[in-house]
Amino acid sequence: MSDLVSKRTAGAAAALTVVWIVVGLLAPDSWPGVLLSIAASPNTHTATLRLAVPIALAAIGGIFAEKSGVINIGIEGLLIVSGFSSIVATYWLGSGSTTLGLSNHWWGLVVGVLISVLFALLFAVVCIEFKADQIIAGLAVWLIALGLAPFVSRIVFGSPNATTMGTFKPVTVPVLSEIPILGYLLFDTPPQVYLMLFGAVAGWYLLFRTSFGRWVVASGENPKALDTAGVDVRKVRYAAVLLSGVFAGLGGAGFALGQLGTFAGGGQTDIAGRGFIAIATYLLANYHPIGALLGSFLFAGLNSMQNGLQAAGYAIPTELIRTIPYATVIVVLVFVGRTRLPEAAGEDYESGED
Amino acid sequence: MSDSGAGTTDGTGPKTGVDAGTADRKSTGSDLAVHLDGITKRFPGVVANDDVDLRVERGTVHALLGENGAGKTTLMNVLYGLYEPEEGRVVVDGEDRSFGSPRDAIDAGIGMIHQHFMLVDPMTVAENIALGNEPTKWFGMAVDRERIDREIRDLCDRYGFDVDPDATIEDVSVGVQQRVEILKALFRGAEVLILDEPTAVLTPQEVEGLYEVLEELTDQGKTIIFITHKLEEATHAADAITVLRDGKSVGTVDPGGTSRKELAERMVGREVLLEAESEPAEAGDVVLSADDVTVRDARDIEVVSEIDLDVRAGEILGIAGVDGNGQAELVEAITGLETPDEGTITYDGTDITEWSRRQRIEQGMAYIPEDRHERGLVMPFDLVENGVLGSQRSPRFATSGRIDWPGVRDHTEEIIETYDVRPPDADADAQSLSGGNQQKFIVGREFERDPSLVVATHPTRGVDIGSTEFIHERLLDLRREGVAILLVSSNLEEVQALSDRLAVIYEGEFIDVTTPEDVTEEELGLLMAGQRPDQRDAAGSVGGDDR
Repeated sequence: MSDLVSKRTAGAAAALTVVWIVVGLLAPDSWPGVLLSIAASPNTHTATLRLAVPIALAAIGGIFAEKSGVINIGIEGLLIVSGFSSIVATYWLGSGSTTLGLSNHWWGLVVGVLISVLFALLFAVVCIEFKADQIIAGLAVWLIALGLAPFVSRIVFGSPNATTMGTFKPVTVPVLSEIPILGYLLFDTPPQVYLMLFGAVAGWYLLFRTSFGRWVVASGENPKALDTAGVDVRKVRYAAVLLSGVFAGLGGAGFALGQLGTFAGGGQTDIAGRGFIAIATYLLANYHPIGALLGSFLFAGLNSMQNGLQAAGYAIPTELIRTIPYATVIVVLVFVGRTRLPEAAGEDYESGED
Repeated sequence: MSDSGAGTTDGTGPKTGVDAGTADRKSTGSDLAVHLDGITKRFPGVVANDDVDLRVERGTVHALLGENGAGKTTLMNVLYGLYEPEEGRVVVDGEDRSFGSPRDAIDAGIGMIHQHFMLVDPMTVAENIALGNEPTKWFGMAVDRERIDREIRDLCDRYGFDVDPDATIEDVSVGVQQRVEILKALFRGAEVLILDEPTAVLTPQEVEGLYEVLEELTDQGKTIIFITHKLEEATHAADAITVLRDGKSVGTVDPGGTSRKELAERMVGREVLLEAESEPAEAGDVVLSADDVTVRDARDIEVVSEIDLDVRAGEILGIAGVDGNGQAELVEAITGLETPDEGTITYDGTDITEWSRRQRIEQGMAYIPEDRHERGLVMPFDLVENGVLGSQRSPRFATSGRIDWPGVRDHTEEIIETYDVRPPDADADAQSLSGGNQQKFIVGREFERDPSLVVATHPTRGVDIGSTEFIHERLLDLRREGVAILLVSSNLEEVQALSDRLAVIYEGEFIDVTTPEDVTEEELGLLMAGQRPDQRDAAGSVGGDDR
């Protein structure tokens, strides 16, 4: 039954796309035409890739945590702390110069990831050791990050917003970057995009090809089965949550250093809900790392097209665009319904209970 | 898996116990795969195992027989490293062992197949079998899936299993899942397999299949210990039976040299009636009747088709049938968990088809549900809270909206005592009790509701014989008191022994309504398989011979 619905939905979406492209080509000045030219523009594509970085990496991290049975809705907070701390570290070391032969931007990335892992560890201890409610603990991580970033920012920069500094330079791969389309997309792009692409493949490999990946899945579906098979469920869950810290850290720091060059700590911060969009993304992708990467393109693409539309004089409110990921998830869950939460997600596990 | 296999032979070689013959098997005792010596395991307030000895010979099937709560599973958990005993020695292959965790036991060649399977439903058969023991390649960077498949294929060939390694666990039958559990243990190099109540979840055909598997395994030198509370299984499948009672061993016997009755007495500690005695019914007025009841499922398929039935006061109407033939839905319609699509249900002369559960309970309907976890108990609640479920509004326990907890506690303690629920602790969570004890508690709660109608589905499923006898007696007591009883069971002996009238349900219809005296077990079996009585008479001579 759900197959039929998903076929119908897919069919309808394809038909709409065809209509849009036909109308867009016939009437380039109508709004479908403008939309089409924005969607076809290389600027939109490169912006999409860069905007996808925090969403995709945080989503992949979230997949590992949730697959292991620990729902980490704190990844929004992890993006904030890693993004902010990477900027602070780079600022302290001196933007533009190097330390121990490594550019200070890269040191910033390392610090961002470490801080993110530290927060993930805190979250893991609270959830796994002290069996706190995962949702509440995750909210706490987010709220702490939301308060801590502007607070530290005031101390360091005297304002909730950090000083602006340079971003990562695009790395151009010789020869390969000459390939049409793929060249400028994949081989002439800043390092955080390479990290994202590599991270998605690595996440996929880790989850589906290694024994650790299988333990993560078993830990989230039936921890007792894993325990009786002689694997320590606690260790697996710790590893998975810390891994979510690594991925989210790469996402947050990569976004701050490669895209923003600064970090606004006020309000919703520069992360502005991307961690929550990441959660929506991996649910949409049914916990598949590559699917999460593609899903992040969808949401980042909407974001960059909205920027393009604004430039073309069609001002669609950001707030409206931001609702799209969540609305999509609801639509997908209702009509396709193939996202299946891990059986033991959200439940703590203690060995030896009979 | 190879590393653990090496440690188990220890020079004695694969000498099997078969040549020892049946008579002097106990006296030789030279090739013991497992020897538990004076095991004592205490829990707060209970001695679960009290100086228990167990000697299991290599290459044999050894049954561990006992009632619920006799300490069988505790003893095996000691052997499997889940519990550490306070006293006693665990000797495996002649070597003293002390297992701190299941991992140690697995490494010593011991595998356990739990009653509730330890399988990950969305993963494949192969992934489950290798879980936690995945062979890897590329310096641990990848799971060596080819090797897993190859080893599973080898094991399947060797022991004659037919299992598809790529099937997903949730898509295969319970019988296959059990085989996957056995393969999982073998994959880890297990020489000794512990099976905890292996037949509890199987159909009769699957049980036969399991016996064949056990035989194949022992033929190839593996040792089996299986935990059961069912006499037939122990005598049918085991080479030796050790009986446990109240945490103590009451001896090891040869199944050939003992009778079922003798075994039952050893197990219970007193004389037992294996079959309930029921005197003829003195049926009164019709209490419950169903009239043309039809129930359709979510896909709009008729699962109950125009069923008529009457249950009179002081009468037990038995419904026999293979699970899944509509009896569950019929019971749901009667108890008000589901509204029938057509037809009416009458209780004490009133049409109750549209009544709520609450009204039906208040009218005096007691219900023992099929699934005790899902519908019988709230697992994280203690027994006091579970004891008042369904009566929380009755004036007996509640005044002006407040529950009289001391009164409920007294009532609960009475149930616990009368129905021999173990451990006898009203503050225990329902989930901490074994399945049989949970069932006893539910039966007690429902019977003590002072009902005028009892709807009992599988009332003794998973319950040991001592308690089964008691539940049967109580059912007959209720009948004597003039309660109308609808008994649904897939246990033929039970429905035959207790029912005054017997209806056989097949694909949502009563294929025959008869009395237990007029039908043999063979005939019942044929009816349950869907052979109508008129067809049976035509092809009848086969069934008739067995009388």
